[in-house]
Parts: sequence; C-alpha cells; structure tokens
Amino acid sequence: MDALRTAATGMAAQQTRVDVIANNISNMSTTAYAPRKAVFADLIYRTEVNPGAISSTNGTVVPTGIQIGLGVQTSAVTMDIGQGALRQTGNDLDLAVQGRGFFEITLPNGEPAYTRDGKFEVDPDGQVVTSTGFPLADGLTVPQDARKVSISPDGEVYAYFDDAVDGQSIGNINLVSFVNERGLEALGNNLYRQTTASGEPLTGQPGNEGLGLLEQGYLEESGVDVVSEIADLIEAQRGYELNSKVLSAADEMYAAATRIR
Amino acid sequence: MMGDNSITSLPRQSGLLETAQIIANNIANASTPGFKAEGPIFAEYVSASANRQPSTSIGHLVGHSTDFSGGAFEKTGNTFDFGIEGDGFFKVTTPGGDRLTRAGVFQLDPNGMIADAMGNTLQDEGGSAIQIPPDAVSIAVARDGTLSVDGEIFGNVGVFEPIGEMERAGANQWVALDGDRLKGDATILQGFVEQSNVSPVLEFAKLISAQRLYEAGQTMAEQEHDRLSSLINAIRQQG
Repeated sequence: MDALRTAATGMAAQQTRVDVIANNISNMSTTAYAPRKAVFADLIYRTEVNPGAISSTNGTVVPTGIQIGLGVQTSAVTMDIGQGALRQTGNDLDLAVQGRGFFEITLPNGEPAYTRDGKFEVDPDGQVVTSTGFPLADGLTVPQDARKVSISPDGEVYAYFDDAVDGQSIGNINLVSFVNERGLEALGNNLYRQTTASGEPLTGQPGNEGLGLLEQGYLEESGVDVVSEIADLIEAQRGYELNSKVLSAADEMYAAATRIR
Repeated sequence: MMGDNSITSLPRQSGLLETAQIIANNIANASTPGFKAEGPIFAEYVSASANRQPSTSIGHLVGHSTDFSGGAFEKTGNTFDFGIEGDGFFKVTTPGGDRLTRAGVFQLDPNGMIADAMGNTLQDEGGSAIQIPPDAVSIAVARDGTLSVDGEIFGNVGVFEPIGEMERAGANQWVALDGDRLKGDATILQGFVEQSNVSPVLEFAKLISAQRLYEAGQTMAEQEHDRLSSLINAIRQQG
C-alpha cells in the first residue's frame, strides 16, 4: 500500500506550501517582511535490488536496481531576508536599512531581539521605541525641545534645537548582522531572535563590516512578490490535486486486488 | 499446465503495482528541487520447462531507469542558490559520507560554511567546505564555479560526476558507489534553483495506463477462475 502513503506525503507537502504562501500573501504589506519558502526533499528509498548487484553466475550486473521511493518531506522553510523596496514616508524616525543588518531592540524581559522594521517613534520619556513600544538597544533619547532629528547613513543621530543651524550629536544607531540570517527565529511582530543556527550577533557601525547604510525617512517594504506567490499557489494547488488523483488511482488498483478470487 | 495463466500474470500484476508506486513517488516529488523522475523497466523471463512443454514467458519488473534530463530553472536571486546547467552534481559532506545532489538550495551555517538545509556542507573542487568571511558584502559565483568575495577570487564551487552507478539516498541525495571525479566543464547558475524534472501530465498518463493494465490483468485472472470452475463442474457432472 506504499503508493497510497506516498501520495499522502505529496498532499501533506503541498499543504505545507499553501500554508507558507498564505502567510506570505497576508504579509504583503508588512514592513520589512521576509518571505518564506517551503523546500522539499525526497524521502528514503526501499531497496529491492541493489544497483550493481550480480544477476547471474556469469557476472552480469544489474545496471540500475530497484529502489522504490516513499514520497516527499518538507526539508526546510527558508526565509529570504533580502532587500525590500524602500518607500518614502518623510518621518524623521523612519529608518530603512539599505544592505545587510538588523536594528537591535530590547524586549520587556531584557533580552535582545532584532528587526529590519525601522518604524520608530518617541515614547513619553523621549526614548526611541518600535511601534510596539520596545526600546532601541542603543538607548537613544530625543530631547523634548528638539525641533528636528537628523540621522546620517552611518548611524550618527543629531538633534536640532530652536533656530540653531548646527545639530547636536545625541548618540548613534548601530546595526547587527548574523553569519546565517536565515537561521534566526521569527518571534512575530517583525522581530527575530538569535539561535544556534544563526550564529552570534556581530554589532557594527552602518556602512562598516559588510553592514548596510541607514536611509532616514524611508521604510523597507515587504519582500513578498505577489505575482510569484500566486503562481506558486496555483502550482501547489495543482500538485495537491494530482497527488489526490494518484491516491484514488492507487486505491482503485488495490480494490481490484481484493476482488480477485 | 493448469494455472499457467494465473501464474504468469502474477509478477506482471505486482510489477504494475510497483509501477504505480514509482509514479506516485515521482508525482509526490514534482516540487522537490533537483529531483529526477524514475521509470520502471519490464523484462521477460523465459523458463524452459521440463517434459517438452512449451516454455512460459513471464513479464516482470527488473529495475528502474532514472531520467537525468535537466529540470527547469527557477530564478530566486538568492546568493547561495545554485543550479547546474547540463551534467554534474554538487558534493556535500554528510554524517554518512559524501553525497551528490542537484538540489542547489544552500545557505550559510553558523560557522559561515555554505551548507544545505540539513546542515551538510558544500564541497569545493578540492573537497573542502567553503567558509565565507562574516564581513563579506557581495558573494558572486561565476558560470565556471569560481566564487569571489567582494570582487576577489576566494574559492570555487565543485561540480562532480559519479564514476560508476549511483544509489538514491533520499533527501535529494545520491551515493556514488564507485566514487566520483571532478567534472571540468560544468556550468553553474547563481540565484537559480533547478526544479524537479517530473512531468505531472506524462506521469499521470502512465499511471492511468498502469491502472488499466492492472485491472485487465485482474479481469483475466477472474475469467480464468470462471473457466476452470466451469471445467471442473463439467467434469464432475460427467462423473
């Protein structure tokens, strides 16, 4: 009854793919969202005749053997942390990373988390926080009387007061990179956490050590390409249907086998 | 000989069932990167019978062939997605030894080595893992496999070919039973992933044909059963 189970693994795999695509499409407007992609691999093989087995006393060799595959598995759901398009907003504290790197923020429990969503705001204390209220780990505070904040591409933050022409440095924003960004754990809310797979965080000034530059007044758009997601969705749906047809064809064959007297 | 009909149809019937399994596996892997479709090979046994009876020919499944034709390339634009145009395989180091694969979905592992989704490291032409410096900004792989980091030649991505036969190991991997050798003239495409070469329509046509042949075999077995029982009945009435 292997064919039934094999077809079922195919249906399960395509179902996973549809789940992943549905999540991508629902995040097509999420700032700096990294699209996910399900990657498949074939399952193990049941070897009936080894390739290269001797098939006669004359030493004839079976050229290919018989290995029956048992279906498909989802080997990974990869994350594509690439560069999304930049959208101009004009807000002083909207920051986009052009190139590699994440902003480090501090979770309420004190642990660090990482994000490429640069939609920052000032909380009542003047602290620079994410839209969910978590502070930037660089500990940036904007003075209440600042007229304007200017952030340079390499992360220097200046505040302008009253009618002063020159800005006053109030700190800087660093970026963090990981050897394997795809190994980060997604926490939701556009946040990621370091894992063994991602490697240690490497903090640096924007523009140095392979890190990208900051773009003030811009936000990074979602990396989801809706057209290719829909194409993928149709493919997944057809794949699911085909596997279900294999399932019924195999079922009919087994039904015929049980009719025999 | 009584029952010859039934006996000869048995290996054919079980071979057709296995054919359905092979097709099911092909269709299940229609979205598996680098997967190569398989097809059954049937052959005929001819057994010379004793007592000058006519020999019996039995069709049965002797092996299967793998269709090594290239799959379509999907453009992903990812730095560590590689496709091989034409023949050849990537070689990865796994806990079970070296494996060949056409599934070019790679990423960096925590040590900065290029590795597949299961963490098996990709080998260069010399058989070593490729470690990318953490501060690398741009990584480019040329069509001949030369890997450059920030514009400087850094290493290469190895493409190999098996010396003898290969066995499937699952997880998009193959074991080269007699070892492998470097393939000198391979072409690598960076930012592309080779798709499965399974043609679902073709597979489905084959499945339907296997299903019909199988049902025909079952009908034949049933008719043979009826023929024999009516013969036995006739003999009994004579007695």
